[in-house]
Amino acid sequence: MAKVAREMVERAGIDVDKLVELLIKNAAAELTTYYYYTILRANLVGLEGETIKEIAEVARIEDRNHFEALVPRIYELGGKLPDDMKEFHDMSACPPAKLPENPDAKSILKVLVEAERCAVRGYTQICNMTAGKDHRTYDLALAILNEEIEHESWFSEFLGEGPSGHFMRRGETSPFVSKFLK
Amino acid sequence: MHAFTLSELEKYDGKNGRRAYIGYKGRVYDVTDSFLWKNGVHQALHQAGKDLTREIKNAPHGEEFLKKFPIVGYLLDDKH
Repeated sequence: MAKVAREMVERAGIDVDKLVELLIKNAAAELTTYYYYTILRANLVGLEGETIKEIAEVARIEDRNHFEALVPRIYELGGKLPDDMKEFHDMSACPPAKLPENPDAKSILKVLVEAERCAVRGYTQICNMTAGKDHRTYDLALAILNEEIEHESWFSEFLGEGPSGHFMRRGETSPFVSKFLK
Repeated sequence: MHAFTLSELEKYDGKNGRRAYIGYKGRVYDVTDSFLWKNGVHQALHQAGKDLTREIKNAPHGEEFLKKFPIVGYLLDDKH
C-alpha cells in the first residue's frame, strides 16, 4: 500500500474504502467483459459478423488492458482482489455481456454497446468522485473513459445511431491507457 | 399498492436474503433481482432501503433505469 498516497486521498475528502470497492468492481467488469467478448467475437461470423469482428477484438484487448491498469491502483490504495474468481465475477460493476439467444450480428452489437455504455457510466462516476482530489485515480479513470467512449461510438455506429466521428485503431491498442501499462 | 414509511422502507435493505426496495419520487421499486443491486448495494455507493431521489440526481444515469423494475408501493412522507 502507498500509505501517504492513500492518506492524501482521504484528506481530500474521499471515502477511500468506497473508491477502492468501486475500482475493484470496475476491474471485475473489465476482466469479465474480456472473457464474454471472447465468446461474442467467436460468434461474429458471416458477412455482417466479420465486419464487426476486428473492432470487437480491439475492444476486447483494451478491456483486458483496463483490468491490468486498474489493479496496481487498487493495491496502492490498500485494496486487494478477491481470492475467489467467482466472487470477483459476481461483484462486477456491469452485468455479464452474455451471448444472446439468437446471436446474429445486430443482437451481438446490442450486447457490446450496452457493455460499453455501462463502462462509460462507471468511469464517469469515478472521474466525478476523484476530480481535483485523487489525481492519480482520476488520470487513470479518464484514460480508460476515453477508450470506453470510443468503443461505444464504434458499436453505436454499426447499429445505425450515427457516425463514430473517428477512425478505427491502426495496429495499436490502448492509446490512452498504455502509459499505465509500462 | 402498499404505502411505505421511510422507517418501514429501511427493512428492505437487501441484506441476509431480505428484499431490496428503493424509493424514488414517491414510488417504491423492487430491485432485488438486479445484478447491479446484489446484497442491496449499488456500485458500492448506494444502499437499498432508502429514498434515493436525491442520490439519483448525481448518478451517471437517469430515472429511465428504474422503469424496468416493478413498483411495489408508494412512499409516505415523514409526517405520516
